[in-house]
Amino acid sequence: MRSLVGIGLLLTGMLAPVPAAAQDVEALRKELEEMRKQFDTMKDGYEKAINRLGERIQQLESRPQPAAAPPPATAPPAAAAQVPAPAAPAVALTAGELARPREPFSLYTQRGPGQLLFDMGVAGDFIGNLTQSNVDKANAGSFPGRENRFFPREIELSLFGQIDPYARAEVRVEAGEEDAGEIALHLAEANLTLMTLPFGTQLKMGQMRSRFGLLNPVHEHDRPFIDAPNVLARFLGEEGLVERGAELTWVAPLPFFLEALVGVFNGDNETAFGRGKLTSPLATGRLRTFFELGDESAIQLGASVANGETPERHRNTLLGFDAKYKYRPEGWQHPLLTLLGEMIYQTRRVDVLGEDTNGDGIQDTPDQTRTRNRWGWYAGGEVQPFRTGQLARWAAGFRYDWTQYPVMRGREWAVGPYVAFMPSEFLRFRLGYKYTERATRDGFTDNESSARKVDEILFQATFILGAHPAHPF
Amino acid sequence: MTTRPLARTLRPLFFIVAGLVAGPGTGPAVAASRIPVVATTTDLKALVEAVGGDLVDVDALARGNQNPHDLEVRPSLMVKVRRADLLVMNGLELDQWAEVVVQGAGNPRVGPGAPGRVDASGGLLVLEVPQAKVDRSMGDVHPVGNPHYSIDPGMAAGVTANIVEGLARVAPQSRPAFERNRQAFLARVDQALARWTTEMAPFKGAKVVVDHNMWIYFLTRFGLVEAGSVEERPGIPPTPSHLTRLIALMKEQKVKVVVSVPWTDQKLAERVAQEAGAKVVPLAPAVGSVKGADGYIETIDYNVRSIAQALR
Repeated sequence: MRSLVGIGLLLTGMLAPVPAAAQDVEALRKELEEMRKQFDTMKDGYEKAINRLGERIQQLESRPQPAAAPPPATAPPAAAAQVPAPAAPAVALTAGELARPREPFSLYTQRGPGQLLFDMGVAGDFIGNLTQSNVDKANAGSFPGRENRFFPREIELSLFGQIDPYARAEVRVEAGEEDAGEIALHLAEANLTLMTLPFGTQLKMGQMRSRFGLLNPVHEHDRPFIDAPNVLARFLGEEGLVERGAELTWVAPLPFFLEALVGVFNGDNETAFGRGKLTSPLATGRLRTFFELGDESAIQLGASVANGETPERHRNTLLGFDAKYKYRPEGWQHPLLTLLGEMIYQTRRVDVLGEDTNGDGIQDTPDQTRTRNRWGWYAGGEVQPFRTGQLARWAAGFRYDWTQYPVMRGREWAVGPYVAFMPSEFLRFRLGYKYTERATRDGFTDNESSARKVDEILFQATFILGAHPAHPF
Repeated sequence: MTTRPLARTLRPLFFIVAGLVAGPGTGPAVAASRIPVVATTTDLKALVEAVGGDLVDVDALARGNQNPHDLEVRPSLMVKVRRADLLVMNGLELDQWAEVVVQGAGNPRVGPGAPGRVDASGGLLVLEVPQAKVDRSMGDVHPVGNPHYSIDPGMAAGVTANIVEGLARVAPQSRPAFERNRQAFLARVDQALARWTTEMAPFKGAKVVVDHNMWIYFLTRFGLVEAGSVEERPGIPPTPSHLTRLIALMKEQKVKVVVSVPWTDQKLAERVAQEAGAKVVPLAPAVGSVKGADGYIETIDYNVRSIAQALR
């Protein structure tokens, strides 16, 4: 009996887990079923994805095909080596290339899509000048304070490109010698342009070279002359009209080119304005038109205005008129003849101190505010007389200047011929001579010296590295 | 009393300004009128005309006989782009100057990334893509490959496909018409290509010298081999030592032909050819560049005929 009880207990013990094991099997079966379902779902998903890809390939294959690779030339190896094997399309990137971190500054690798999202360039402009010792002492040359020196006038780093589909930006940082031996680094330009505004208008805002006249917007290394025309240097200062504010432009939908521009700036330019407040802003305007005179020549005409306040809170208005003509015979890659000129007329209120006319130590005339109506102009030209070959790299030009001084009495005139040699599009040398004659020594008498007549030999070396936008007319 | 005359004076002024603002070129083209298109080169103009037919009004920025690498940005070009609904560019950095034109034109329809912008080189098999470091010591090199594909008739299919896509973005309802025009044009090109291939077949493997490296697509298409270039480095006049080497190479390899284009130094090409016992063959670098090359097929006809005649 005991043995039967023992067997019974044993069997009970053995049979007792059966319901639990049956439950586990059921759970496993369910889990397996679930996994099968998941697998089927995944399989369906992959099949759908594969089908979609297949359909896409079919669609692409049914579209017009790009041109096939040109047939390989049957040529001996030596000649064939000069024809590199057809490369992959520019847009095709391998998985390895996609995985590799992008290097935005790797200019010397292939510039595929997305590798460099903006352009950059460096322009270097070096000046050398020789003049008389009295001119040097009086700081009265074309590059005041840097007479009889060779110096970097403008080493410019430019970054420019699209910000997004609606706007582009440019940033230019310049370093150059401002006083003998002293290099100054400064922000030359930093601005953005909204390009998709209504009615075809564009808004440029930030720090910029104001589009007043013909040469003011042009950087010094891009100008057709070694030094700045006297009228621009006298009325706008050596740096030109570089301002902070905004310019709105509009190209009229006419059969000919007509561009209108209005600008509002702080008025920071100390030579002409200098108030520097938006409450008394510098307002500018410009109209520019252009006419093709047949296939070979064209002329551009412009009129500008700038109106602002001086630090003494007096109004100054500048009017500018400019013209540029180019003659480029059929088949020439450069103009044979370029002529250009600019005129500035100023109406400016200035404070005039009273004078002691009879020398008795007592001021005889009262302090008063007077109007200075002054003007000046320049005209110049360049010929590049050979169409092709080594001689096509040479050009010769000249400029004549005549200008009154904006505030003080007197005037000056100058004439300057030069020759230019351009080994390539990115390198240029100029050698020139300039003679300046002033009606008075006043204003050019630093260090107990003076300079009424100035002879200068000028040299310029300019290079461009990397990207540089195409030059406008 | 004073307001009426003033109003009278201002009224015509208002209508003039309103007319200017609402005038042609400021809004998208009306479906019924032709689509104003601007192409940077005459080759692309011809191809847009082939695809667009009567539905487009096409203008080119560069003339056929102008060097398209370095076009001066004249404001008159901005007037053309100002009116355009579609701008077709060659791409591959040949016509980067067009970006400056666009910046001055004030036409957002063809601005960078806008639907009205077509890069005709998209998807093409580009030749001479530099595989190593390039810099300006090699001259005015094209860092993304040789951009002169448009004078290769085999590229017409790919270029016109890109043009159809661009035109269809501007006028989707006309896509079937563009496709029909394209197929008809490509059929004509294929027919001509068979003829050109037959004509050039006897000269397969023949070597030629070029004055500017812009013929690689055309030469490769017809099995010719570029043995050298008068221009040692793009955009830089050749040195005397390079010319001496080139003439020696031409004599050694019995090169009979120097291919030249109108905007290069013809006298230099003549001198090299004379010294090497070869002859200069002026080809048409673009549609409209020489007399007799007035259309796309006619231009390639002219080039095939000229070079075959010289190699005979």
